Order: sequence, then C-alpha cells, then structure tokens
Amino acid sequence: MNPVGVEPYIVLSMVLFLLGALGVLMRRNAILVFMSVELMLNSANLALVAFAREWGQVNGHVFVFFVMTVAAAEVAVGLALIVNIFRERRSINIDDLQQMRG
Amino acid sequence: MEWLFLVVSFVAVLAAAMMLTRQNAVHSALFLIVNFGCVAFLYLMLDAPFLAMVQVTVYTGAIMVLFLFVIMLLGAETTTDTSGRMRWLGLAGSAVAIILLLIFAFPIASNMLSDASAEPPAASAKLRVINAIPGAAAEEFTVMEMGFAMPLVGTVRANVSIDAVDESLPDRRIDNIVYDDSRETVRRYSELPAGDYTIVVGVGDGSYASGPVFTKDLTLAADAAMTLVVFENAESLIDVALLSDDLSAPAVGAMRLTLFNAVTDRQLSLVEVGQYTTRRSLCDDSACNTLIPHRRLIDQLPAGDHISIELDEGQYNLAFVDQDQNVLRTLAQYQAERGRIETRALVREPGAPGSQASYRAAMYDAVGIPAFGSPESVGQVLFIEYVLPVMLVGMLLLVALIGVIVLARPDALAQAERRRVNRRRRVNRPLVSVISQQTGSDAIRGEYLAKLTGGADDRASE
Repeated sequence: MNPVGVEPYIVLSMVLFLLGALGVLMRRNAILVFMSVELMLNSANLALVAFAREWGQVNGHVFVFFVMTVAAAEVAVGLALIVNIFRERRSINIDDLQQMRG
Repeated sequence: MEWLFLVVSFVAVLAAAMMLTRQNAVHSALFLIVNFGCVAFLYLMLDAPFLAMVQVTVYTGAIMVLFLFVIMLLGAETTTDTSGRMRWLGLAGSAVAIILLLIFAFPIASNMLSDASAEPPAASAKLRVINAIPGAAAEEFTVMEMGFAMPLVGTVRANVSIDAVDESLPDRRIDNIVYDDSRETVRRYSELPAGDYTIVVGVGDGSYASGPVFTKDLTLAADAAMTLVVFENAESLIDVALLSDDLSAPAVGAMRLTLFNAVTDRQLSLVEVGQYTTRRSLCDDSACNTLIPHRRLIDQLPAGDHISIELDEGQYNLAFVDQDQNVLRTLAQYQAERGRIETRALVREPGAPGSQASYRAAMYDAVGIPAFGSPESVGQVLFIEYVLPVMLVGMLLLVALIGVIVLARPDALAQAERRRVNRRRRVNRPLVSVISQQTGSDAIRGEYLAKLTGGADDRASE
C-alpha cells in the first residue's frame, strides 16, 4: 500500500531527534529549550507510529497518545514555571538559574 | 508516494533547523508549528489518521498556542544567548549529535544492508463464522487444537468445532477465529493472514471423539471479508457455505441485507407485507388466487444460497415465505437503518416431536475490525487493554492542572516582590542608614551635617 518502508521514517525521526538534542544543548533561552524537547518527543512519536505500522499493532499509537498527553501536562507546568522564574529574575536564560547548584 | 515523503520530510527537517537558528522566539515557535504539521502529515501517510488529528489539535493547536502566549506575555522574543559559552557549547553539542548519529545510524545501516530481502508483513483478510445449524442453543463452535485432542476455548457441551489450518505452515494452528456462544448477536470478524486454509468442522460432545466430519479448503484473499456459514444440508450433514461479504458502504440512505437460506428443503422468498400478519400463508385459500398485498424483495432463493439486497431506510414488515407461499417467519416493524450491513440466516428449529417446526431468522451484524489507526481501533485498545494507564494519565493531567493553578496564582507575584524587597533591605542597605539607625537620625541628617558644613563655612568666612 505504502511503498515507503519503515527505515526512512526512522532516519527522519533520528535526524529530528538530533536537531532537538542540539537545540537543548545550544540554546540558552528556556522557552526554546522547551520547544526543542517537544521536537524530540515528536520525533520519538514518529518512530513509534512508523514501527506500529510496520508491525500492524495499534499499541504503538496508544503509546504515542500517552506521550502526547504527558507532553501537554509537562508543557503546561513548565511554562508556568518559566513565567514565575521570569517574574522573579526578569530573565529566562537558563545559565542564570544556578541557585540549585551544589 | 516516495517523492511526497521526501518533500514532507525535507520540509520537516528544514523547519526544525530554522527553529533552532532563529534568534526571535516567535519565529522559532512558528517554524516548530510547521514541523508539527509535517509530522501530522507523515502520520497520515503512516495510516494513523487519528493521531494526525490529535497531533494537529493538541500540539499545533494547544501546546504551540501556549508557547506563543507565554513568549508574548513575557516579551521574551529576543533573549540573548550567552555569547562566550555559546561557542564551545555549540561545538560540544555538535560533537554529541554526531556521536548519537553514529550510535543510531549503525543498527539501521546494518539492518538495511543485511535485511534487504525482508518480506513485508502479510496482508490480512477477515473471516467470521456463523452457526446456522438447527438445534438447541447448546451447539457452539469451538476452536480446537491441532490433533483434535482438547478444546482450546469454549465449553465441554460444544458440539461443533471449527479449526482453520494454515497449509503453508503445517503445524500452525490458527486459533484467533472469533466465535460466539450466543445465537443472535454481533459476530465480529477475525483477522487472519491471507493464504490458503483448510477448515475443519466437527460435531461431537466436546471431546472431538467423532472426529472431523467436514473439511473445506478455503483461500483467503488479501483484504477480503468472508463469512463462513455452517449449516445442515438436505442430507442432514454439516455443510459449510462461504459468503464473501461486501463491507463497503451501502448506497446513501440504504442498508445492505444479505439473506442466507439455511432451510434445506425450501426455496426462500423475502416479501414486504402491508401490515403485520399472523397468518401462516400468504394465500387466502388453498387455490391461492387471492394474496395479501405484498412486494417481493427476494424471490425464490435456493437452499444453501445467499443474496444481498439494499433496503431503503425505513420501517418494514417483512415475511420469509417458502415456495408454497407459507409464511415461515415474520419480522414485524423491521427497522432498516442507513449504512447498516446485516446478514440473516433463516434456520429451521426442530420442535418437539409431533409439533410444528419453527423458524428463526438469525441476525448477524457485520461489525468488522476497525481500520488500522482509526479512532475506533485506537479507542478499543485504549479503553480495553490500557484502562489503568488512561486513568493514571488522566490523574496526571489533573495534577498538572492544579500545579499550574498554584504556580500561576496572583499572589505568587506579590510574594516574590516581597522577598526581593526583603533581600535588598538585608543586603544592600546603605551604610548611612545603618549609622543613622544606631546613632539617631539627627546625627546624620540634622545638626551634625550642618555642623560639619557650617564649620567649613565658618572657616571660609574667617
């Protein structure tokens, strides 16, 4: 039905994941770091859906559904934290957040 | 299809790269939305329409709007990256990315090289089994083990057994044929790999002592839907009829009714009568010259045969009539719902000795296995196999909601302000105020200053 096999999707998901990881490592803006994490979650979801198609199992879709739900909760809490941090410090540069450093 | 995949994946990677490199956070968010849209498109290409819609609504709809909202609320469009650390962090990030790439790429590359001849998963076909054997309700289908030793599923009282043997693999038993104990109910299809099968039908007391009495070779084509009707033929032997089901949507505003004649010595007609009738014959007298007004929907269906008709939506009074115009069974106020696909088998029930035989129009709704990735299929797995995780995730969302409310409550800002003010008072209090507190405010602000400056003035005037 679909001539594109699973490998191209996995390669694409890998590339997106690495881009997301690069973003987490390189960007200092907390919101952008968050967005990069979302990108990584998305690439993992893509791999799950591709494997679900490959094996004909819907369980992969269910897991993607859970990941999306958890991502939504995480984004809500994370953005609320960022807003609070910004209120306190007038900055969301994650290099400034060092008070937890031991 | 391949070029579509290439284009969409290229756009996805490009959007992700643009998201990383933009300095303006709003632009980054917009590029991330493009990337999410591409991923949703890929979900569609991967037969996951439900997830594609969830992706659009949850990710690009809710989450990204939240991001944009926060960016604009904070005015954090352009926050500077620390330039000094930026350089070596970028280098380190690139190095880590390349290492990860190698780690990830190695198995895929080796898989592509070694497993190039891997076969795609076998296409599947749908099969269901209908019990149209006259007799008591104790007759059921059982899926039997190969070797006909023990009933794998079902009760001991079962006397009809169905076993599908995959011929291509000699010792493999196909045991996932859905069967149902109840007589008139929804029969669901089982999904089997397409291929050649031998169906073994046996009658016994559950121990399969009498052995298989009927075998039938059966070829399941890919994407075909078949119904296996087990019935009793004219020689009172178990027979199997294969109906290939048309599961495509019926015409607009109509339903599809498939009638199977399991009454072996009658030709069956389906007629629509003007009103509900309790007569046993459509004829008024033996000469059969005056008939109850009726309309023939199916005419003279031979035994063991089947036919499909499409009924317009509405209410019907139906009667099953044999070739002698005897009404075998009536279905009063039969509701034809649009889009429904129904199979009915007319079965003769042997009554007690001496009494008249009764007939039963067993109904089998065609409820197929929902399409892969459709909301039905995901929902079934979600709410049948994963009920507990669904509950936990729901609770997690609730906790997150409460957490966000606590974090974002208005007095949090006031508390933070107070804390900052306190800290400033404690640490940054000017030395002058410390002196003034300990020696009295007049010591600095009043006469003492005047004395100092006045003394200077006095000296100057002198």
